[in-house]
Amino acid sequence: MWIFDVLFSLPVLVIGLALAGLFGATARAKLACAGDVRRLAALPRAHGSNAFFSVMVPALAVFLLLSLVRLIGDRQGAATISASTVYWGVLVVALLGCAGAVLRSSLGFRARLASEAWIRALLIAASSIAIATTAGIVLSMVFEATQFFGQYAWQDFFFSTEWSPNFRGNSSLGILPLLWGTLYVSAIALAFAVPVGLFAAIYLAEYASPRMRSIAKPMIEVLAGIPTIVYGLFALITVGPLMRDYFAQPMGLGDSASSIMTAGLVMGIMLIPFVSSLSDDTINAVPQAMRDGSLGLGATKSETIRQVIIPAALPGIVGAILLAASRAIGETMIVVLGAGTAARLSLNPFEAMTTITVKIVSQLTGDTDFASPETLVAFALGLTLFTFTLCLNVLALVIVRKYREQYE
Amino acid sequence: MKDISMSESPIMTQSKISAQNVWVRYGDSVAINDVSVEIAPNTVTAFIGPSGCGKSTFLRCLNRMNDTIDICSVKGDIRIDGEDIYDRRVDPVQLRAKVGMVFQKPNPFPKSIFDNVAYGPKIHGLSRSKEDLAGIVEGALRKAALWNEVKDRLHSPGTGLSGGQQQRLCIARAIATAPEVLLMDEPCSALDPIATAQIEELIADLRQNYCVVIVTHSMQQAARISQKTAFFHLGSLVEYGDTDRIFTAPEDPRTESYITGRIG
Amino acid sequence: MTSSLLTTDSRTKRRNAAEARFRAYGLAAIGIAALAIVILLTSVLTSGLSGFRQTYITLEIALPEAKLDKSGARDPAVMAKVTTIGYTPLLRDALLAKMADLGISTTASDKDIAGMISKEAAATLRDLVLANPDLIGGTVTLEVLAEGRIDGYFKSRVTMESAALDSNTSPEALQVAQALADAGVISTHFNWAFLTAPDASDQRPEAAGLGVAILGSLYMMAVVLVLSLPIGVATAIYLEEFAPKNRLSDLIEVNIANLAAVPSIVFGILGLAIFINFAGLNQSSPLVGGLVLTLMTLPTIIIATRAALKAVPPSIRDAALGVGASKMQSVFHHVLPLAAPGILTGTIIGLAQALGETAPLLLIGMVAFVREYPAAYTEGAGLFGEAATALPVQIFNWTQRADPGFVERASAAVITLLLFLAVMNTVAVLLRRRFERRW
Repeated sequence: MWIFDVLFSLPVLVIGLALAGLFGATARAKLACAGDVRRLAALPRAHGSNAFFSVMVPALAVFLLLSLVRLIGDRQGAATISASTVYWGVLVVALLGCAGAVLRSSLGFRARLASEAWIRALLIAASSIAIATTAGIVLSMVFEATQFFGQYAWQDFFFSTEWSPNFRGNSSLGILPLLWGTLYVSAIALAFAVPVGLFAAIYLAEYASPRMRSIAKPMIEVLAGIPTIVYGLFALITVGPLMRDYFAQPMGLGDSASSIMTAGLVMGIMLIPFVSSLSDDTINAVPQAMRDGSLGLGATKSETIRQVIIPAALPGIVGAILLAASRAIGETMIVVLGAGTAARLSLNPFEAMTTITVKIVSQLTGDTDFASPETLVAFALGLTLFTFTLCLNVLALVIVRKYREQYE
Repeated sequence: MKDISMSESPIMTQSKISAQNVWVRYGDSVAINDVSVEIAPNTVTAFIGPSGCGKSTFLRCLNRMNDTIDICSVKGDIRIDGEDIYDRRVDPVQLRAKVGMVFQKPNPFPKSIFDNVAYGPKIHGLSRSKEDLAGIVEGALRKAALWNEVKDRLHSPGTGLSGGQQQRLCIARAIATAPEVLLMDEPCSALDPIATAQIEELIADLRQNYCVVIVTHSMQQAARISQKTAFFHLGSLVEYGDTDRIFTAPEDPRTESYITGRIG
Repeated sequence: MTSSLLTTDSRTKRRNAAEARFRAYGLAAIGIAALAIVILLTSVLTSGLSGFRQTYITLEIALPEAKLDKSGARDPAVMAKVTTIGYTPLLRDALLAKMADLGISTTASDKDIAGMISKEAAATLRDLVLANPDLIGGTVTLEVLAEGRIDGYFKSRVTMESAALDSNTSPEALQVAQALADAGVISTHFNWAFLTAPDASDQRPEAAGLGVAILGSLYMMAVVLVLSLPIGVATAIYLEEFAPKNRLSDLIEVNIANLAAVPSIVFGILGLAIFINFAGLNQSSPLVGGLVLTLMTLPTIIIATRAALKAVPPSIRDAALGVGASKMQSVFHHVLPLAAPGILTGTIIGLAQALGETAPLLLIGMVAFVREYPAAYTEGAGLFGEAATALPVQIFNWTQRADPGFVERASAAVITLLLFLAVMNTVAVLLRRRFERRW
């Protein structure tokens, strides 16, 4: 009967034990104090919650540990612990926890402290997931990238200018065309986003009335909330044909709707709020005394902004630009739909070129065998990308922190 | 209410600043209540009074810094050298080159000492060449009694100086635009006694070339450095006259209460 | 300097002109941003709004027993042996009969006329008959989908000129369609099926719907909510209230700041390598998708929760400690409830971001064409283990298809996505306004 399957399934049993412990320990505490809770070192419900955690936390920890061991063994192909070992292991731990907590319930037991210790452990465990994620990212990419470099020379990867994977083997897998595409598209995007974002921030911070600010600022934030797939579609059906019909063809520079220019322009629109918001915060943080000093000398507002405020806010603005650059480099969907998937080293911005991110997707979702260099190269690409953006992010953080002390 | 008692000493020269019936409002509340005063050139005039009496607000009217505050409205007649500074044709930018200001807390720009002082002359186009500019900067720093201390490190940041030096830098910066009037809003309140003494000595020298108006909440300071004193109370000008007379024989009972410490 | 204040000198005039120009640049920048939004929304709306309306043909279809149930037993298992190929002629005959009824004559071939009906319609009819075997022998009136080009004609996508060049239709067929429309047999109206039907194959854009994608996205959001909210809040509480200032907590903080800026595709790589290859979870399942999106949403929730916790004044914590509460009690009983609105807002915004993510989902295998609604739990695949797709992935999928009818579908799907996001963000803002306390 299915109901027994459910009953004896591990989650139900463990939770059942935890609840049993909760009620058992609470009852035992109440019994021990003979009805007068003031005699207890901790409230009965603290005894109860201690019992609950004493079952759940160890059970969860043991489950994760044993499952991990089992999985690693599986992957190595070595003999490993079976599913029923995991099952019984967790069950035994849960039982012990339940029994232990119930037995500990007595007059002098400081159950609240014990309970809080469990909670603290849970909080720390949750916090380490952030570290585990980064570790996972790095490990997984390094591991597979090492496999890749075992099959393909790293010199060819980093310095070859040809990208043409061939599922039959003997491919050229040079990162340079992809790197070029990435940098080119980001440069165009920033060339558009930085002036527009910066001037928007300046206007909002220094000139706009509170009413205008309350309308314009959320409006710019809307641009940040639009998913990149929407921008991608916009690039595909509107901006691409527009660029081709009004710029590329008249100028004789090509007739492709997919181009670096298309993707760069749309990406620039997406980046405007990044530059604008962060710059706005930095500009507002410049002390009013600076402005008063400059205005008191007879400077106009624009002179004050250009010669006093922007230089003072520069570290924050540079940080914002670096973060926007990092975002541009890691972008995928706008490039897939706006610039296409052809790897090419060309100076013509109206030609289709592609980026590192797009090739990661195409190599990992293709039909080639997973262990082949054509698929594994995606991990090498991913590692390169991750390192690049990591450096940019750290640089941005360092610049902002270091120069912020200048006036605080 | 009888507000103004003028001194009997005859006004020998034309007033540099002439204010008549000035009213200042922040939104609905009145900050300056029908104030009229004549300020003489080459004099140090002190504005004294308890906190919130409007002396800083009135000072800021003289170089139209109150324009930067949206809810502030100024009515009345304020003339410098006979010209109404609130006239439609007057650009505050030009006014502020003529009327310099030094603030309570020293606020040098995060630039080098040289660039701090050179900022004003550059934007107003007062120098014809680099040598000219260097000369203006040196002159201003000398007049502010700072030259000897910084002449070897003109390109180090202005924020690296001590409090008193920073304030003198701000004074040099204000002087560099060759103003005729210097407004000082409690310039020594953020400084230690030694730096204060240096600034006060400087102010005494400055009056040879400039008309100085200084807001101070230290009566002793007013007594030390000013020739004329104006006592403000709750937005009105209560009494105005020669400094020694105000402090030894005030005419208005409110002035006397303030000076003897019973109010403020 | 004795120049009069009443005359503006030329230098000041130039400086004022520069001031005006500078100000204008700022306003222009804001204008450009506004223009970009307007153009984007207009383009999406004009190409997508028509996707919510669909062209249908109302037919009376005869269901002869001889063709559908020779045995006469009305047994669905037996009847199922008749595939859609057996039902297609019935539809064609019904249409021809209708045309004869209305006196519409044409030079178009029978094949072209039959081609006016969507190939999906045969499947719909078959499902209907198998569910109601007693219909056989009679006539059923059914509204069936018109084929993509016919639908395109009524939405001005397909013209007589383009039909002449198109192999799927012809100008004569379009004229017939027009005549039928005038007679009220063909109508274009709002179709819920766009939101509920599953995806359709490349040749049938008219039948493609978002049903599977929306369901898949819903499952994933459930996973993200259940996982990222507790973990994110717990991390934030630890970092903000309990963590000692040591290397470990510094490391965690740097990690979170970095994870917030890592490109989304890297999370996809993580998902592929660890959740699918190492842990062996099902490719393309909402569970894996949800796990990957959880990791992406965690930094957002952590940062929002920390800000909410910081905003609670220390006096509240001091007051709780003052009456003898433990640190943990002061946090959970006093600080956390006060920070709840901010946490909620941050969570909704995090979910909205997760809803729109595409790249990482592509890497965990959600590129495939999925026709069945995924069940939440199955014996074989486990919880949220069945293959599914997600709303943004479906949009991407449709943009890769050749048939121009899919452009309209993709744009309409974008409108749907934007609507969901708009609702979520509005709820977040309203919640914040309603519950925010100004200390």
